[in-house]
Amino acid sequence: MATPSPEGHSSVQRFLMDVGLVSWSSFLAACVASILFFAAVDPQLLRDAGPRIFDNLSREAGYALGFFFFWMLAASAAGLSVYMVRSAEWHDGHPDTERDSD
Amino acid sequence: MNAKLTTVAPQSSAPSFYEAAQKIYPREVRGRFATKRRWTVVVLLGLFYGVAWISWNGQQLLLFDLPARKFHVFGLTLWPQDFVYLALLLIIAALSLFFVTALAGRVFCGYACPQTVWTEVFLWIEHWTEGTRSQRQKLDQRAWNLEKVLRKSSKQLLWLSLAFYTGFTFVGYFMPIRSIGAGLVQLSLGPWAVFWILLYSLATYGNAGYLREQVCKYMCPYARFQSAMFDKDTLVISYDELRGEPRGARRRGAPPAKNQGDCIDCTLCVQVCPTGIDIRKGLQYECIACAACIDACDDVMDKVGSARGLIRYTTEHAMSGNRTRVARPRLFVYGALLSFATGIIAYSLLTRTPLILDVIRDRNALYREVRGDWVENAYSIKVINEDEKAHHYRLQAAGIAQLELVTPAGLIDVPPGSVANVPVRLQAPAASAQGVHPITLRITAQDAPSIVRTEKTRFIGPQ
Repeated sequence: MATPSPEGHSSVQRFLMDVGLVSWSSFLAACVASILFFAAVDPQLLRDAGPRIFDNLSREAGYALGFFFFWMLAASAAGLSVYMVRSAEWHDGHPDTERDSD
Repeated sequence: MNAKLTTVAPQSSAPSFYEAAQKIYPREVRGRFATKRRWTVVVLLGLFYGVAWISWNGQQLLLFDLPARKFHVFGLTLWPQDFVYLALLLIIAALSLFFVTALAGRVFCGYACPQTVWTEVFLWIEHWTEGTRSQRQKLDQRAWNLEKVLRKSSKQLLWLSLAFYTGFTFVGYFMPIRSIGAGLVQLSLGPWAVFWILLYSLATYGNAGYLREQVCKYMCPYARFQSAMFDKDTLVISYDELRGEPRGARRRGAPPAKNQGDCIDCTLCVQVCPTGIDIRKGLQYECIACAACIDACDDVMDKVGSARGLIRYTTEHAMSGNRTRVARPRLFVYGALLSFATGIIAYSLLTRTPLILDVIRDRNALYREVRGDWVENAYSIKVINEDEKAHHYRLQAAGIAQLELVTPAGLIDVPPGSVANVPVRLQAPAASAQGVHPITLRITAQDAPSIVRTEKTRFIGPQ
């Protein structure tokens, strides 16, 4: 399925660009979320309140896990948005029918 | 990455979000603004790599110590409870950016943005190892030989070393840099420190070595919304179309022909542009206002004997022959907000009490009967000494007649920047303590009576 976009990209290239965009915007959102969340909450308190499998985690590990959790959460929202936009383009016949001739 | 220089970027009539990325080979440039930019880079990077190693009173001067949940900012120790200061600082930083943008356009992008600064240094390295713009282009097109391998690998070695040291320094602002430095040398660094150092090294390497102007064009949110701060009096870099057009080549030293403008169409302004745009097409969002095109054009104007400033810092109003107004409502609003936020943070830092008292009632028992007709309530308090020196604190309780503090009997000693968890027992005669009574706990530093905190809690007696 190598459908080129109006800019001359194959669908694979375009998919990779979407992945880049989604991971970047969600990275920014995860940074903000982590700062706000961990300013108020100490990961060690969460560990003490959480299930036993977290018992051996250090505070650093808590920060990292929290950050990746926020990142994945934001990425799923951003990814879904891009998917909705792209699949609507597909149903509208874009990009094939609206391609520029030059 | 292997895009050939000879190919022309596919032109799409519709504005495209994703263009085919062409490798840009910025031409080296000399001049007033290039010198300024070079000095800014040296000063900013000097601060970044240097400040991490400065200690004051045995404490790293600037350290957002995440493992210890304490921020050390120029001799001030901030705790998670002081988050409001950090939030205010971020607001001040954002407002400063708005203010500067409205006044002077994208000077931040061109001179101070980390992306610009590190790209500049990576370009210097590229210049040392691979030569000038044309030499780099030839090298990329040439087949692999020993010289190409040597040049490319020495560039990679320098890039990777700088990127790694940058990642290390960056993490050194979040974990004590001396201890992670020692851990690095002794190969005993924790896995998370290693992970973050490698991640930021990789980000530096990728952003400054390869992504470069694409970060500004595709990734930077500020590049997209900065136009909201712009007006017709904002300083921008602009090509003087009236003076330059119609452009065309002419002999050195010869004045322009009758129907000719000053632009000799040498395209140097395009070649030096780090984002690869043609400033003569007007103001574009890709322009990071680095002024490289001004330097290049001034040089050319000197050579052909025309006045400088065909491309120059100017405003839209000045370009259209109107007067530029520096003092305008937009600037006053940004300025007022900025002074207000700065005032708040200065006032609250100056009047800040370096002491926090947290009181938690003992949840196990409402009260206990003691000494026959007295009742006792238990609490645990957390005393956080945010000061730079140790203090002895006296605890006092008030709110009920004859309320007595049983423990702690003496003073509470807390070292600088530390937390003391202290069990507290209060007793009152049952006759005066029936039901629920609001009481206050007050803690005062013995050697500094101005350091005082009062917290409310409850004392519960029999109904």
